[in-house]
Amino acid sequence: MTMLGYQNKVLRVDLTKKGATTEPLRMDWAEKYIGSKGLAIKYLYEELKPGIDPLSPDNKLLLMTGPMTGTPIPCSGKLSISAKSPATGTINDCSIGGHSALQIKYAGYDAIIFDGALKEPGYLLIEDGNVQFKDASELWGKGSHEAEATLAEKYGHDYSILSIGPAGENLVTMACINSDYYRQAGRGGIGAVMGSKKLKAIVIKGTGGVKIPNIVENTKKITEILREDTLQEDNTFIYDYGTTAFLEACSDGGILPSKNFSDATDENWTKYNGDVLLEKRVGKRGCGSCGLGCGNFLKFENATVEGPEYESIAVAGPNAGIDDPEAIVKFNQIADDMGLDTISAGDTINFAMEMTEKGVHDFGIRFGDKVKYLEYLVLMAKREGVGADLALGVKKLTEKYGGEDYALHVKGLEYPQYEPRGSWGMSLAYAVSDRGACHMRAYAPNEEVFAASIPPYTAEGKGEMVYNLGVFNAVKFSLCICDFWATLSYERMAELMTLITGREWTEQEMKEVGARVLNIARAFNQREGFDRKDDTIPKRLVNEALQSGAAAGQKIPQEAFEDMLDQYYAVLGWDKNGMIPDDMICKL
Amino acid sequence: MKITIQLRGSLTKYFQGEKVRSVEVPDDCTAEEALKTVGIDWTAIRNFGFVAVNSRRVMIYDRLKEGDELKAYPKISGG
Repeated sequence: MTMLGYQNKVLRVDLTKKGATTEPLRMDWAEKYIGSKGLAIKYLYEELKPGIDPLSPDNKLLLMTGPMTGTPIPCSGKLSISAKSPATGTINDCSIGGHSALQIKYAGYDAIIFDGALKEPGYLLIEDGNVQFKDASELWGKGSHEAEATLAEKYGHDYSILSIGPAGENLVTMACINSDYYRQAGRGGIGAVMGSKKLKAIVIKGTGGVKIPNIVENTKKITEILREDTLQEDNTFIYDYGTTAFLEACSDGGILPSKNFSDATDENWTKYNGDVLLEKRVGKRGCGSCGLGCGNFLKFENATVEGPEYESIAVAGPNAGIDDPEAIVKFNQIADDMGLDTISAGDTINFAMEMTEKGVHDFGIRFGDKVKYLEYLVLMAKREGVGADLALGVKKLTEKYGGEDYALHVKGLEYPQYEPRGSWGMSLAYAVSDRGACHMRAYAPNEEVFAASIPPYTAEGKGEMVYNLGVFNAVKFSLCICDFWATLSYERMAELMTLITGREWTEQEMKEVGARVLNIARAFNQREGFDRKDDTIPKRLVNEALQSGAAAGQKIPQEAFEDMLDQYYAVLGWDKNGMIPDDMICKL
Repeated sequence: MKITIQLRGSLTKYFQGEKVRSVEVPDDCTAEEALKTVGIDWTAIRNFGFVAVNSRRVMIYDRLKEGDELKAYPKISGG
């Protein structure tokens, strides 16, 4: 079956044998999973043997675009980078912005699949159909920023570069992959998978295009959609403020965590609010094909960064007891350069701060210590000194030193910066997310906090709410469309797919794709032994009520959480243990 | 009673670009009623988000008291 928008070609790279081959994309799978997130998970479900070590050559690293990648569809520049996670043992699909997805597509590929591992550090140079293995011994050990700058200088700034920092090289399971200096495939240790393959970087340039039907007429329609839908004020707040806009809203909403989630307000939030940070703005940037341009370049005396985004501000600000905006920006810069996920790295140090203050184990750092906060990041990436411990992440530190009462994670992935006691549905969203605690799978605050008439402190209806949010995001991310196109609808997604592929898509089909993606991800994890026992809520949220803020007095009773889980499983047709029935798996 | 109403983001267009106004509203009115006194019907605004009183998120039908600061947010999306 032929659909336009696709290149109908996969590049397979055998790193062990240093060989590259091409093959047709599985269009029968593309019909069911579209691209990016969904199609990547389907490939990994079919190709990875259950039980493999995620840091062994048996794991695969998969770069997947979608049919809209490289077209004028707004906000379609995201790339899915996926593998089995070394942090959680689950499936892990990450989404990275920048321009690398477009270059892959223009080079003639829908996907690149890396198998095996290099014997010595190397990088891959892809120029359309020409694939070369290059020595990276000079780059190994360098920060991601220096590595990217070196490669950009060598090949040109019109090449896209995906790289890892020292954290990925040292197999730290919170290592990320960087591109365009400040864009990350951040979570679940995806950078450690690349490091385990001794692959420092992927350098790519494509000079081709993407075929779409009725190009003149359809491009006009896409331009109208950009003007009338994407560029309306519901979406353009992200151009004006970036995600710094969330600080005040989360503070007022009672979901801005402070001091390792011990409370949900911070009296100092005005010191690092968006208005303050944006006074330092010196530039703007968007991803390829983006109409919104959320990126802000901030310049302080001793730090420059594209960002920081809400997650990085919250984790290194109130949740660390730090109120210095320059320290927060510096944290972001160092983490990106070292190749560390800011969420997991920040949460782990915050956990260590509380462990020290509560006398459980002395990590030599307390809340508010901004100097050590930055030093510890480098030690974690290099696994040196106290960093060797901290690189383990919250779950493994708990197993080693105790402190479960202060440990905020699901399946070994540290909590994002939305406090669930002020948004009960978020505790469910974190619990059932396909890669451990992730806020991108079902963004519950959007429905129950940033809404005028929906009660956040109840289990009622939250199973269906999280399901609906999850299905929508699963199909949106399978279309490779960015989260910040807030007015996007199923109807619009079906229209875009029709414009790009030349075959008629319906809203109902979009919903079916989303549900299918949730199920294939769950099926992958189920095969790895995950079930209800792993869909957990941290003890702190059940046992300790928030002391201040909009959600003061709130905690989430265990029975309410279990009720939400029951609701969620029931909507999906899973059994009480959260298992997908065999007859459903057969249809995936 | 007198309160202040603060609008955030794109909602400031309902104050012609101003962010804050001090307004007189009926005693014991709800957040919804207070907004109506300045011509804002939240149910008719597609991207209306939520309201906070004195920097704490409340329900739209919660009641206000003298001197409260009512803040109204547009819809926020993404993470």
